[in-house]
Amino acid sequence: MDFDAIVIGAGPAGSAFAGRAAKGGMRVAVIEKKKDLGTPVRCGEGIGGHWFESLGLKIESGVGYAIEGAAVYAPDGRELVVKNDETTGFVVERKIFDKQLAIAAARKGAHFYPKTMATGLVKEAGRIAGVSVQRDGEAFEMRAPLVVSAEGMEAKIAREAGFNCQANLYDVDSCYEYEMAGIAGCHRLIELYFGNKIAPRGYVWVFPKGDDVANVGIGVGGSMGADPKRLLDDFIAKNPRFKKAEPIEVKGGVISVGAPIDSFVKDGFMVVGTAAHQVDPIHGGGIALAIEAGEMAGDAALAAFEKQDYSARTLKKYEDDWRAAEGQKLSKRLKLRKVIEQLNDDDFNHIFKEIGDSDMLKVLDSDFKPVVAKILLKRPSLLKVLMSLV
Amino acid sequence: MVVKIDDSKCIGCAGCVSVCPVMALTLVENKISCDAKCISCGTCVKVCPARALRL
Repeated sequence: MDFDAIVIGAGPAGSAFAGRAAKGGMRVAVIEKKKDLGTPVRCGEGIGGHWFESLGLKIESGVGYAIEGAAVYAPDGRELVVKNDETTGFVVERKIFDKQLAIAAARKGAHFYPKTMATGLVKEAGRIAGVSVQRDGEAFEMRAPLVVSAEGMEAKIAREAGFNCQANLYDVDSCYEYEMAGIAGCHRLIELYFGNKIAPRGYVWVFPKGDDVANVGIGVGGSMGADPKRLLDDFIAKNPRFKKAEPIEVKGGVISVGAPIDSFVKDGFMVVGTAAHQVDPIHGGGIALAIEAGEMAGDAALAAFEKQDYSARTLKKYEDDWRAAEGQKLSKRLKLRKVIEQLNDDDFNHIFKEIGDSDMLKVLDSDFKPVVAKILLKRPSLLKVLMSLV
Repeated sequence: MVVKIDDSKCIGCAGCVSVCPVMALTLVENKISCDAKCISCGTCVKVCPARALRL
């Protein structure tokens, strides 16, 4: 079986790449080790509204629930509501959303191989020549001059290819989540609850998917030693609005909240999406970043296909484009994460008391200076912690 | 030594796979298995959101 590109993983990054490359005339194979797409769900399923225009995404009714903003809660319960183009958006049904992306890519000519697992790289004279796979009890090779890892956090083939995708405990969040029905007081707001007792170096979230249905989850820092399921169960038990709520599904996962990996391309190989740790370090969101990366990688692959030159030098256009679009923003968000994780509950409460909704908008836009100045005025002791933001 | 996996707790997220320094863990059809490459470092045990692993 010969192709121009083989994509490992049929998530958002893989399907976005495949659609782009196939539309441009490449023979693309997408291999997916599972028999189903989009499951088991490992995330909160939220996508910010600003992405829909830039990526041309369409959400049909029944696939996503529109969100109008975010409500953020300090440990003492004080609420800040933020409404901007980053906090509006959708909570999508990944099981359908991922499948729709795959269908779109298949319609553009990409070939899909479900229940087909990549087991290793195939090399010829030292160059990448494809992947070895297993399907239905058979082991065989699929050949292409370009292999694209869209493997998500597992990233085993990317690691075999020499990419530094191994996650470390400090730079991941460990997440547990229920989809619950019968929740009282759900509005079209994403809710985030901060506090070192609630979720050490993380937060509890309520992402509504309907008037009384929501993903209720928790992420805790991987190096904190906390048990996310137990903390989430505590949070739910203590909050009366969940009294009549039933968990209808269990979800969860481990997500990178560190920096993207240091290089996305090698000769004949690209890494896209969560496999490349292209994830927002503040909220752990990666769906849209993955689609954006998949499309950029698809464009770079097409340029390589035209020249029949899949060297790292040609493929690097993808890495340059993606870093130009997202690199600076994500590195500021990583700085913010590292500041937030040094705050104790008292600091949190103080900060929420001092800042208003408009300040929160500035923080989300990475315009930290005016907000830091305001906080320091009342609590100069935080200077050392907040200094890295200005 | 290989890590012990409690399938009744595992949610098939493969978080353990992502942190394993020696790629001893594999997820196939929502089931984790651990092979002889395991060095019993315990990193996977710490990160598992479902507390499904132990040494």
